[in-house]
Amino acid sequence: MKKVIRSLALGMAVASTLLAGSATANNIVPGAPQSAPVLLQGGTVHTVSDGVLEGADVIFADGKIVAVGNNLSAPEGARILDITGQHVYPGFIALDTTLGLVEMEAVRATVDTNEVGNFTPEVQAHHAYNADSNVTPTILYTGITHAQIVPEGSLVRGQSSLLKLDSWNWRDGLEQSDLGIHLSWPRVGLNTAWWERRSPEEQKQAQARQREELAEIMETAEVYHGARESGVQTRIDRRWEAMRGLFSKEKKLFVHADDRRQIEEVLAFNERHGFDLVLMGGRDAWMLADAIAAADIPVVFGSPYGLPARVDEAYDTAFSTPARLAEAGVEFAIAYPGFWDVRNLAFAAGNAVAFGLDYDQAVAAITHAPAKILGVEDRLGSISVGKQATLIVSAGDALDHLGQRINFMFIGGREVDLTNKQKELYEKYQQRADSE
Amino acid sequence: MKQLPIKRTAVLVGSGLLAAGLSWSSVADQTTPVQGLYQHNPNLIAFTNATLVTEPGERLENATLVMENGIIRSIERNNRAPQGARVIDASGYTLYPGFIDPYSNYGVAEPGSAAPRGRSGTPIYSNERQGGNASNSAIHAEKNWVDTFQPNADQAKNYVAQGFTTVQSARLDGIFQGQATTVSLANTIANDAIYLANGQHFGSFDKGSSTQQYPASLMGSIALVRQTLSDSRWYAEAAGLQASNGQVEFNAALAALAELSNRGLVFHADNEQNLLRAHQVLNSFEVPVTYVGSGFEYARMDDIKATNARLIIPLNFPAAPQLSEQYSELDVSLADLRHWERAPSNPAALAEADVAFAFTLHGMEKAADFWPNLRKAVAHGLSSERALAALTTVPAEIAGVANQSGKLAPGFRGDLVVSRGDLFADGEIVSVWLQGEETKLQSMHPVDFKGEWQLQAMGTEFTLNVSGNGALQGKLSIGFSDEAGDNDTSVKVANLNQADEQLRFTANLNDLGMPGVFRFALTQSSLNSLQGSVVDANGQTHPLMAQASSAASAENEEASAASANAQAEPLISRVTYPNVAFGQERLPEQQNLHIRNATVWTADDQGVLENADIIVRNGIIRRVGQDLSTPRGYQVIDATGLHVTPGIIDEHSHIAISQGVNEGTEAITSEVRIGDVVNPDDIHIYRSLAGGATVAHLLHGSANPIGGQGQTIKLRWGENAEGLKFRETPPTIKFALGENVKQSNWGGANTIRYPQTRMGVAQIMQDAFQQAREYEQAKRDYENLSRAERRRTAPPRTDYRLEAILQVINSERYTHVHSYVASEVLALMDVVEQQGFKIHTFTHILEGYKVAKEIAEHGAGASSFADWWAFKIEAFDAIPQNMCLMMEQGVLTSINSDSNDLQRRLNTEAAKSVRYCGMSEADALKMITLYPAMQLEIDEYVGSITEGKHADLVFWNAHPLSAYAQVQQTWIEGRKYFDREADLQAREAVNAERQALIQKVLGAGEEAYRGASNGYRQQQPTWHCEDNHDVWLDWFGDHHHGHSHELGGTE
Repeated sequence: MKKVIRSLALGMAVASTLLAGSATANNIVPGAPQSAPVLLQGGTVHTVSDGVLEGADVIFADGKIVAVGNNLSAPEGARILDITGQHVYPGFIALDTTLGLVEMEAVRATVDTNEVGNFTPEVQAHHAYNADSNVTPTILYTGITHAQIVPEGSLVRGQSSLLKLDSWNWRDGLEQSDLGIHLSWPRVGLNTAWWERRSPEEQKQAQARQREELAEIMETAEVYHGARESGVQTRIDRRWEAMRGLFSKEKKLFVHADDRRQIEEVLAFNERHGFDLVLMGGRDAWMLADAIAAADIPVVFGSPYGLPARVDEAYDTAFSTPARLAEAGVEFAIAYPGFWDVRNLAFAAGNAVAFGLDYDQAVAAITHAPAKILGVEDRLGSISVGKQATLIVSAGDALDHLGQRINFMFIGGREVDLTNKQKELYEKYQQRADSE
Repeated sequence: MKQLPIKRTAVLVGSGLLAAGLSWSSVADQTTPVQGLYQHNPNLIAFTNATLVTEPGERLENATLVMENGIIRSIERNNRAPQGARVIDASGYTLYPGFIDPYSNYGVAEPGSAAPRGRSGTPIYSNERQGGNASNSAIHAEKNWVDTFQPNADQAKNYVAQGFTTVQSARLDGIFQGQATTVSLANTIANDAIYLANGQHFGSFDKGSSTQQYPASLMGSIALVRQTLSDSRWYAEAAGLQASNGQVEFNAALAALAELSNRGLVFHADNEQNLLRAHQVLNSFEVPVTYVGSGFEYARMDDIKATNARLIIPLNFPAAPQLSEQYSELDVSLADLRHWERAPSNPAALAEADVAFAFTLHGMEKAADFWPNLRKAVAHGLSSERALAALTTVPAEIAGVANQSGKLAPGFRGDLVVSRGDLFADGEIVSVWLQGEETKLQSMHPVDFKGEWQLQAMGTEFTLNVSGNGALQGKLSIGFSDEAGDNDTSVKVANLNQADEQLRFTANLNDLGMPGVFRFALTQSSLNSLQGSVVDANGQTHPLMAQASSAASAENEEASAASANAQAEPLISRVTYPNVAFGQERLPEQQNLHIRNATVWTADDQGVLENADIIVRNGIIRRVGQDLSTPRGYQVIDATGLHVTPGIIDEHSHIAISQGVNEGTEAITSEVRIGDVVNPDDIHIYRSLAGGATVAHLLHGSANPIGGQGQTIKLRWGENAEGLKFRETPPTIKFALGENVKQSNWGGANTIRYPQTRMGVAQIMQDAFQQAREYEQAKRDYENLSRAERRRTAPPRTDYRLEAILQVINSERYTHVHSYVASEVLALMDVVEQQGFKIHTFTHILEGYKVAKEIAEHGAGASSFADWWAFKIEAFDAIPQNMCLMMEQGVLTSINSDSNDLQRRLNTEAAKSVRYCGMSEADALKMITLYPAMQLEIDEYVGSITEGKHADLVFWNAHPLSAYAQVQQTWIEGRKYFDREADLQAREAVNAERQALIQKVLGAGEEAYRGASNGYRQQQPTWHCEDNHDVWLDWFGDHHHGHSHELGGTE
């Protein structure tokens, strides 16, 4: 993955003036509400909830799935799509992305990912979400219907929301707002990278300070919540107010932690707090798979293609982590954090299969598992009666580059136009190739 | 270190000790007019009864050494001192030649505090010219450091305390640092201290305090060394003559370097890789060189040995990595654990390999660690003879003073080390003589009163037991005893102290039947005896004699014998190639193979062959077909169910590069060579093998329009840098266009370098080509001169920068052009077409689809990312269908990684073109095999499974372009470099070795953490095309400027 400005220097201001018109809207029209029932006929249906059905049909109407099975008869006025030989999946759900918050990484004017300071629980990602981004249509193109939009930053970053990627504006696209608070766990261990000039002692002190800061935040947040509940506190602080949902269990706590020692600290932390906690990133989760399973904490594994974190680690550590988590009984999803490159999500799940993960579990890791982790499994993440008609039809195996070709996408029954800027440029220049 | 008990050591009786306290000069200044009285102090000194180690391996017992006027006059075996000499009885002492440190900055002027470098200020591109100095401010070869030399008693202390008497010294700053001077550490006037005014030149790759931008990378430094050495040869011929462009300039630095072949060069290499890199370039100019090593030589000992160079080795053994906290090992690599264990055995390994080496204090965090570390090296198998040679004869040669220092011999300097006991076991230096003058480190009197003494006073016999470390305790009892603690009654003594070499205590002797408190005082009188007095309760003084108990002496002797024979524990770490986790114990052997029943993806016209066989002989594919018979002696591989493809070839890689991927300082740096800085230790070589890659084209970054020369390697994991190089590959070079080269994202300070626009990029390229043509013409013109004219005319100066560009315009060096947008691509093709050559390959070329027709007409290839985009403006029109559009229009198209991560999975990167634009699978595979081979002009050797090509083969367990394919084995030229099964075992081995070493560290307790904190290698970062910063600033020059984490540019 290409992380763009790696510059650590403060003085590296990017020439933002260059790009007045960069965030121009795409010209793709969002799908219209479903007007007639649709019958998908004769496909391989990856229901996720009820296994894989061969030669099966799916009927949906008014945005909801009304029947799944073999040889279903078409409702009156139904649009019938023969999808023989094709695959039907629930729409893929991308977790931990900055889609719509970034248009062009090197151009600061188009980047809305980090609020100032390291305690900004009040910020809500959807407020900056650009529904007209040129990037998101390329994400839809690979079968992803929904994305969790997450603020970045250190320590307490803010709140994420789940958006459907085909919408007129964020309000139209909002599938679930304010999923929870995102917390970057304080660093642990020794940074031995070449740019680190602090001594081990200095590093440790800095880490201890961050841990203290976090403990203070949590304590104050709890006191504030109690004081508000009891009516003692009448003045409103937007920051502490935002944290209250953690204690009332209305909000989840998404903790971003990769190192084994961080994850251990997170587990111990939640022993005390009992939050509705999701571990994000979880690069070293394989080392603690049993403990994580025992603590019943779901993991959003964020480095499915990662290089080994340490020189002595096996080359395939990241590739085989999903299989190890599955084996230990950890509830997990696979994510591909980023923005433009989120489109590789399904292939990353496929790669996990190459390194031992069961295929159906790989599909679940980008459909049902994310839906469940975000608490929207009542409507998303599987193909079963009563769920939202959010599904994709792929010519072949959608987890494999060789098979994925999304022929249809429906989000809540609305058919999504799968064109995008790149496809349009392709078609434009094909004409040049053909004409000359 | 253990202190020897008094009983077994000699006591010096004589005037030597007294003399040491006085300050008189045995050698007078010879030219200063005397003010007042002339001084003629006696200056004949004789050490008698001494053990003399006159040079390594030469030992004289009971000999006499005579010094006069600071020079050794004679060495006598007859143990007689000359008349009138000050006699020093050295019974029980060993005299060694004074030690010589051949790499020092003692007594010479230090650089002024360096101005902050980096991007905070306006970059400095040129040197201020003064007095014939070099054009680069890291070159100051004209400096003679003797000119600034002044003895410095404070600085000398650290050296003398370790037994050093002489150093070769220069300011350790810059690339060609100037000529060192070899001087005595004596506290005298400079004129008397200078042993050799002009010694060797010193050099390094680190530009030091230079504030000039160039060079900012290791390869830049190497290129500057090469150009400077070439210039000095040219200058020797050209000075004073007229060149085609005028009178040849005066250049003091180049003139000084012309003497290099006589003087020699001491070159500081940071590690064994840099030593070998330095040797490549220095050896090509036949520079006689001595390397300052690092302690990592054992990791590539055969290569080090092959240089035939002498080394100067620091004894900087690292402290163990911190492991006491749980899981702290997560931050510690096996390579570091190995080095912790093995560093002390490096000197023994060098001796074993018969490499000549000297020791230096340079680079040691604490000078006081020198001897403990040297003894550790001896315990790890270094002979004391080699150790002494490394302190005397070898450095004497290096410092150019072998005719006067390094031995005890008549006529040699009166520089010597006096040791109590064997210095290489448990002895200790008691004094160091510099030019016939003593620097006393400790009394030659042993001052250890510990042990059991038999006292006689007032007609009574007592036994005194003195014990304790630091604070002493004592017990007194009546009667003699040979067995301590055997006496009926004893009293504790009070107020026991040892000062002024006197033992004093009080004792209440009531319990011993002698009423009152008695006060005792004792001083040493001979080897095993003390004398003194006791004042009784009435104030009467009585004489007191004491004799050491014999039983105690024997015990002590045993103890010291045991410590002298101390052997280090056997080493448990392995040495692998490279010496990191997953390194090879030995290089894989070439095998003749019969691969049977595979699905063979030939990537040539034969397409995919089912149930096919491949015969490999001597690393070459001999036959591809069905049902082939197995030649005798061939290894059969049953590949049923497996897919075999050619090894993957990456047109654009930055793995395996040391200390900087960009020499991005100047707009044109075509003289720098990635080939100079190939890093064979990079774990990404192995990881890429595990993804099926066998060939990588290592490219310079994209920070300037004309960057450095590329290097194609085969991923022969375990080989050294030279062994990785794919020799058959024609030369290449990196060009770059667009945002990076016009420094769009480098911050406000970086706006003065030409070019800052795409317009300027085209012009500077055009200009470079023009200059190269004119350069070529100038060389031709010179060749055409008559012999007489040539004598009067300066030869053209070889300019490596223009040489490389000349190769480019003569189509002898192929361009790989970092490019994004249509306009800049067309502009460059326009420019080079005017010059009559062609761009070879556009790399990245994200808008290639917009100008595919023009690229095809021009005849260039294109190598792109599969699907990257949106990371910057010039990447905003990138499309994943780019490859299809280019290929359809006749452009030779490939996929590259430009990423350590993606290089491991180029198969699925290629598959993205199947996904996004329906490319055929055969073409997709060719985009990562045959087509990049063609772009590198190596398709004659690699890129397809075709008879006659190298047997670079990958075995997959599934369709090689699918998400589900896993590499099972990777072969290069019939050698197996990756095997999934072996890898699974290697993981176990790595883990077991790690655990054993972690246990060893933990078992060593606090002792493990004694040592240098800077003793480990810096890990090389994951380089990206656009990483551009000053490595000398970031890695080595951080002492002055605090934190500065600047990288330049974006993707």
